[in-house]
Amino acid sequence: MPIRFEDATVRFEGACGVEEALPLSDWLLAREDARVDLGACTELHTAVLQVLMAAKRPVTVAPTDPFLALRVMPVLNPSPRSGRGGI
Amino acid sequence: MSELFDQFLIESRELLDSVGSGLLLLEKNLDDKAAVNELFRAFHTLKGATALFDWPAFTHLVHAAEDLLSVVRSGDVAATPDLIDRLFAVADQSSRWVDHIEAHQELPADAGEHARRLEERLRAAPETAAVSGTALPDAFAWLTDLTREEREALRGAGGTLTAVAYDPDPECFFNGDDPLALCRRIPHLVLLRIETASPLPDLTSLDPYRCLLRFRAISAAPQGDVVPVFRTAPDQVRFAPVPPDLAGAPQPAIPKPAPVAGAAEMAEEILREQRRILALDAAPEELEGRLASVARSAANVLTALGRDGDVAALQAAAASARAVRRPGPLANHLATLLASVATEATEAKLAEPEGRAARRALRIEPERVDRLLALVGELTVAKNRLPSLARMAEADRVLARTLREVSDTIDRLSDELQNAVLRLRMLPLAMTLQPLPRLVRDLSQRLAKRVELHVTGERTEADKDVLDVLGEPLIHLVRNAVDHGIETPERRLAAGKPEAGTIRIDAHQDKDSVVIEVADDGAGIDAGAVRRKAVESGVIDAARAAHMSDAEALSLVFLPGVSTARAVTDLSGRGVGMDAVRTAVEQAGGRIEIASEPGRGTCVRLILPLTMVITPVMVVEAADGLFGIPTGAVAEVAKVPSTDIRRVKHAESVVLRDQLIPVFRLRRLLGLPDGGGGEAQATVLVLRLGREPVGLVVDAIRERLDAVLKPLSGVLATLRGYAGTAELGDGRLLPVINLRELL
Repeated sequence: MPIRFEDATVRFEGACGVEEALPLSDWLLAREDARVDLGACTELHTAVLQVLMAAKRPVTVAPTDPFLALRVMPVLNPSPRSGRGGI
Repeated sequence: MSELFDQFLIESRELLDSVGSGLLLLEKNLDDKAAVNELFRAFHTLKGATALFDWPAFTHLVHAAEDLLSVVRSGDVAATPDLIDRLFAVADQSSRWVDHIEAHQELPADAGEHARRLEERLRAAPETAAVSGTALPDAFAWLTDLTREEREALRGAGGTLTAVAYDPDPECFFNGDDPLALCRRIPHLVLLRIETASPLPDLTSLDPYRCLLRFRAISAAPQGDVVPVFRTAPDQVRFAPVPPDLAGAPQPAIPKPAPVAGAAEMAEEILREQRRILALDAAPEELEGRLASVARSAANVLTALGRDGDVAALQAAAASARAVRRPGPLANHLATLLASVATEATEAKLAEPEGRAARRALRIEPERVDRLLALVGELTVAKNRLPSLARMAEADRVLARTLREVSDTIDRLSDELQNAVLRLRMLPLAMTLQPLPRLVRDLSQRLAKRVELHVTGERTEADKDVLDVLGEPLIHLVRNAVDHGIETPERRLAAGKPEAGTIRIDAHQDKDSVVIEVADDGAGIDAGAVRRKAVESGVIDAARAAHMSDAEALSLVFLPGVSTARAVTDLSGRGVGMDAVRTAVEQAGGRIEIASEPGRGTCVRLILPLTMVITPVMVVEAADGLFGIPTGAVAEVAKVPSTDIRRVKHAESVVLRDQLIPVFRLRRLLGLPDGGGGEAQATVLVLRLGREPVGLVVDAIRERLDAVLKPLSGVLATLRGYAGTAELGDGRLLPVINLRELL
């Protein structure tokens, strides 16, 4: 299972396909305090990405996959890490 | 700066000419890739040229045209007649601006307004013309508002940049598409923007199986390498090359429109000038302003060359110069830039196609050539004195023979020199013929006729002055041909002719003349109608008209007041056209012929001298004065017994070879005292000016002369009886008579 829900964290692993979008959406609706771990994610389906974008939950672990890190992260974490810092 | 300005005028007009012909080519064949490339190149170069001066409206407008052509070039937008019309409008506006700039050194006050309106038209064009039927510029508007970081990324990527606008079908997930995965496969991805087509709804109302995202990407790969990635979604994606000035770096890989010799050369000149300004002493308080203005000019140059990427470094150099309060850092930077620009200029020159380079290599001010020609003319006059010197030296036979030999050599050399200088003034007819295709296009559209224009012999050369004279008459003739010659399509079809009429213009050299024929396959001219009209308007009497052959009657159309046009249109047919043509051609020392067959068409031939500068002149005497008569008008010289000249009332005439010729006396025409009348013989020059020969009685004929005619200047210029003056061997000025005015 490429997406695992552990307490308040949803962990992505490997290639996450379109079939994950609905369960993810349901889970995110249920957990206001959800956090996202993309560390081990290698592929993210557009549908899943869309859900993450709509949910606006913090990504606590950024993906290591260069494409996701460089091209996709900016839309998930609107305030860039290098930005104003602080909390 | 003024030379630079002149250069701009010449260059921009050339470019606009090539825009005009390029558009006509494209109009003939909407798939003409070469024409699109040429147009793109021309607009691009023009943009560079305008950017060297401070005319932002001009630069923007031309830039907009260039942008449009670049999407046509990439195949994303098809060329359409409508699009061509819009580009014509840009070219026309540009021409008007160039004229205005020449007169006032600046753009007209309403330039910004005009530019804005035309730019809007240009932007609107692709929407109606886009191949995919979607609004392409909108899809790529984001290219113009890239962030600083994004621009930097592009600059780092260099090379060919392809922009991708990917708007996935909302239902695409059901087809198994994953747009993000496709974007991942874009080769050499430089930039990816993931956007929402409309604001994303709350998670609660989000349908996760509808794709609401769209993607904007730039790849450093050529379009051909990017397209295959989107094989599965060809209808949802569009591509465009990234305009070079957005990328902020020169683009070596795209078919490279720049560098162009002219632009690079101008740039070199400006940079050199800026460096000179920096080197001048400046009071400390002036330095800052000077540094700023130099940096600004240099930045403009870089932008014009498409080297926006270098602007930052330039500004850094200017900043450090400001910091140390010395021009040094900026001056050094300019030196480096200058070196690279100079190389570019040289390379561009080398890269020019050969024929072009030959024509461009020497651009001489006409005045300088004229000065050279005047000197050659004076040399010819001085040379003409040598034979008489040789005659004077007859006593010393050795000296006389040597003088004759030297005279022969100088003779030959001055002839060759004269020829060589005259050659300098020769230009191909192409320039004169150049406005005609456009004229035909516009006229035929307005008159709802279909006309094809075929031009041959554009490379035939003629003297610049002859070409200048030729321009107007040709326009008249072609206008007439479209307006009165070619029939409407319905009428042509009814007459069993092809729907589209044909106008052929052929130019060729015939010995010392250049012959230009304008022929149409239209309705032709009815000689009978011309006869009637000529009689009606009192040009000739009915009896003479009846005796005329059809061919003779046709040439009556060249007389003032005879026009066969049925309706007076705003184009031609006011009865002055053909008369004006004839006058212009004859003033240039040429003649005009017409042939026509009703129902088959009309052909007008203009025969002009290759050069109008050297005029053979016959020197004649009247009341102890010497006068020049252009030899071209003299058909024969006759000695007749004085008694043969009959006088009827005030008119005199003589019968020569059974023909009655009216006779005038030069003395009387010039208001000189009459002779005693005791001469047994009279010298009569038989002149052919119009259709009827005319006799001119002179006292004596002296010599023949190849004269360089100089127009009368100052107060004398109002004397209409004279065509100009020539210098005689002994330095005296010879007034040369303008026979047409005098008789």
